[in-house]
Amino acid sequence: MLDIRYGEPSLTLWQKFWRINWLFVFILCLTASVGFAMLYSAADGNIDPWASRQMARFAVGLVLMAGIAMVDTRFWLRYAYVIYTASLVLLLAVEISGTIGMGAQRWIDMGIVTVQPSELMKIALVIALARYFHGARLEDIRNPLYLFAPLILVMLPAALVMRQPDLGTAMMLVMGSGAIFFTAGVRMWKFGLVLTLSIAALPVGWQFLREYQKQRVLTFLNPESDPLGSGYHIIQSKIALGSGGLFGKGFIQGTQSHLSFLPEMQTDFIFTMLAEEFGIVGALALLGLYSIILIYGIFFSVSCRNQFGRLVAIGMTTTFFLYVFINIAMVTGLIPVVGVPLPLISYGGTAMLTLMIGFGMLMGVYVHRDLQINRRSTEYDG
Amino acid sequence: MKQTANNFSATRIQLEGVRKQAIEMGRRRLLVTGVFIMAAFMAISLRLVDLMVVDSNELARIDRGFKAIQAPVSRASIVDRNGVIIAISLPTASLYSDPALIQDPHEAARRLAQILPELDRQEIYRKITLDKRFVWLKRNLSPDQHYRINALGEPGFGFKHEERRVYPQGPLMAHVIGLTDTDGKGTAGVEKYFNSILDENVASLRLSLDVRVQSLVRQALIDTMTEFKAIGAAAVVMDVSTGEVLSLVSLPDFDPNTPGLASPDAIFNRVTKGVYEMGSTFKLFTAAMALDTGAVQLDDGYDASEPIQVARYTISDYHGKNRWLSIPEILVYSSNIGSAKMALDVGGERQQSYLNDFGLMDPAEIELPEIGKPLLPRPWREISTMTVSFGHGIAVSPLQLTNGVAALVNGGMFHPPTILRQVTGATVPGVRVIDQATSNSMRGLMRLVVEYGTGKNAETAGYMVGGKTGTSDKLVNGAYSNDKRIASFVAAFPMDKPRYVVFVLVDEPVGIKRTFNYATGGWVAAPTAQKIIASMGPLLGITPRVVVASNENKKPTRKTFMRDLERALEVR
Repeated sequence: MLDIRYGEPSLTLWQKFWRINWLFVFILCLTASVGFAMLYSAADGNIDPWASRQMARFAVGLVLMAGIAMVDTRFWLRYAYVIYTASLVLLLAVEISGTIGMGAQRWIDMGIVTVQPSELMKIALVIALARYFHGARLEDIRNPLYLFAPLILVMLPAALVMRQPDLGTAMMLVMGSGAIFFTAGVRMWKFGLVLTLSIAALPVGWQFLREYQKQRVLTFLNPESDPLGSGYHIIQSKIALGSGGLFGKGFIQGTQSHLSFLPEMQTDFIFTMLAEEFGIVGALALLGLYSIILIYGIFFSVSCRNQFGRLVAIGMTTTFFLYVFINIAMVTGLIPVVGVPLPLISYGGTAMLTLMIGFGMLMGVYVHRDLQINRRSTEYDG
Repeated sequence: MKQTANNFSATRIQLEGVRKQAIEMGRRRLLVTGVFIMAAFMAISLRLVDLMVVDSNELARIDRGFKAIQAPVSRASIVDRNGVIIAISLPTASLYSDPALIQDPHEAARRLAQILPELDRQEIYRKITLDKRFVWLKRNLSPDQHYRINALGEPGFGFKHEERRVYPQGPLMAHVIGLTDTDGKGTAGVEKYFNSILDENVASLRLSLDVRVQSLVRQALIDTMTEFKAIGAAAVVMDVSTGEVLSLVSLPDFDPNTPGLASPDAIFNRVTKGVYEMGSTFKLFTAAMALDTGAVQLDDGYDASEPIQVARYTISDYHGKNRWLSIPEILVYSSNIGSAKMALDVGGERQQSYLNDFGLMDPAEIELPEIGKPLLPRPWREISTMTVSFGHGIAVSPLQLTNGVAALVNGGMFHPPTILRQVTGATVPGVRVIDQATSNSMRGLMRLVVEYGTGKNAETAGYMVGGKTGTSDKLVNGAYSNDKRIASFVAAFPMDKPRYVVFVLVDEPVGIKRTFNYATGGWVAAPTAQKIIASMGPLLGITPRVVVASNENKKPTRKTFMRDLERALEVR
């Protein structure tokens, strides 16, 4: 048995705690604080009902994140498929007995909390794929048949999420996986092939879309066709953005948002409100904060000495990026309205939970960056 | 994978190479991913710049250009708390003439007089033959007149675009809104106080007043004034937790659209400018300060069997019981003797300090130019302390009294009065003037007055009204008149957690048969307050509650007072 081992002195919890990148944690807090301020504004200058609860969730999330960051990377490697399978079962459970909300079955009632399995799947899929490619040699990856299994890993949850129907999450699952495939070394022409096939499949897929999804796509292509119906969101959002100007209208002064022209301003359209109140300067500043988080994510990935960790890090980073990108692209009318929250800013429990778990794993990769793990091995002591 | 010792190292080296290659590629691809992410961020940043700054998108201009789409007027409109327009400027045209360009003055005068019959043909002729280059003929034409004059094609007639202030609510908001002169400059009310701000390019000025509440208060007040042949009346409704004025009515009033027709008496704002000796409503302040300082406890009392003689004054009771009275009884039966004794126990110094805290010693600070200065006893002798305790020898405006009572019942915080809409839910700054416990007691005491005492006529089913009556004789030529009175009632509701204070004042009511010729606060103003509360409660979405058995046919005793007071306090 070929065994490439390098002695890895295991770290004590205390050492791990100090290996957490606290500057990164600080940037997260800063970004979340922007969110608190916006939720305060969305409630017309009240800490209730949104800002207070969001703060509590973030605080819990921080503790959770620190806890997860100290879990040995090999633990996740070992249980990757178990976690994936559990999430898939939950997704199926939603399909069977989900609570109906907002025209889409997405939540599952766990008694105390309602969870969105599709959110958990974002994490589970990343570690499952990372596990799969962790054991792959370059020549394996070159073999198209080898890619069959991970494609199934992606397509199963993506199809289930599509059925819910949740276009935004499905997009995130597929695109986030794409980043892992790419980092793992899948040849460029294969991406080209998949892209071509998808475009070819579009007319077929169209038939499977729900009526409201079709409506959204059509509206996206021409929002002015229905300014008071499906086009309303995006038109109001653009008006708000345009009225923000350079420095915005000032905190709690956004007329579009506070006069209730803007729908769901505390969740999906919170970026619009920020842009209206703080102008382009505020909007770009937030993008700057996000960029720092993303650069950190890529840095964590690059500095990791094991393939699994690298893939997990890039997977989490890409997922975070997709949240930001899809949300902002949506409110600026670059893509159809798909209902993806703005990470760390939008009001909402499950997205916050997913993000903090994701950040925890990302940080875990960094904490255990010097760990070297045998390709074939999933054992604890590597 | 079994390996022999020989080829082990070779495989290892080869593997190292492959690994290295894989790692290299992995790193390269990570960086490519990073670059891709940043490129995507650049793309959305550019999109944002495009939408927000470059403004190439037509839609994005709508909000900013909104003012431009509106009528091109320079003065902002004024709206009520719900956005109903109270004052708005409309563009109009005014007609002038350049006599030098008039070809045929006779014909021009004749044809213009046909269109504007209110103008005299001779007068027009005189004007358009003057040796000037500019003369006004008519300001503010209607669109139809403008069109027809324009169609005359007379080169000597020209139009100047002006704007006209229109008050769609007519006299409803008269005293709040005030007046503007022909040049559109504010000369009274909000129009004057915010004159320069309104002329700046603001969207609109939002007042705290509610047109609906104002309308029902005004109607109730007009009915009362007519029924009791009063010479005037005033009413205020205030939100106790913010100091926002929801309604402010002063009668008689005027139509700001036709300021020329308004008499000085009608223009006079009785709510903010008028100061009156309020009478017994002041006993609330006296009781509050006595309880707050600890000078008395709720179950203490005073002997009110004998009138008090001080120098040449005699203080006696109107609804005399001629016995010892507990604190609740002093308020319920409105005892002057009891109040005066209570005030003496508080002391003149502390009395003045409390009255100052309640905002009764200085002119009210509200966003209106018409503010009356309170009249205070100078110097403040012991007899002043006694008379002020039941509202004589001191005159304050209805607004001040309302504001002070709001602080009594809202938990003890004084919020400055305002006619501007406050942000919903925001905490309004305030100054603590009495303890929460004192405020709780005052709520109970005011409730008792309506349940058993002089304020019975204000009882409104389901709204737990509390209040206090006030009746005072007017000073006529330096002496108190026997038949000219001010009748007032101050109410708050619902008493378990007061939301609004309603104050009604009727100037010189005349007793009628229905009221057994009484013209007191309890007979005149309390029923008016009842009408107002009964209609504004449901309007503002305050749910009426089923109240436990009424106290009809039950003769109250000192014991039942204390019990009911406790009950009223417990409800909370």
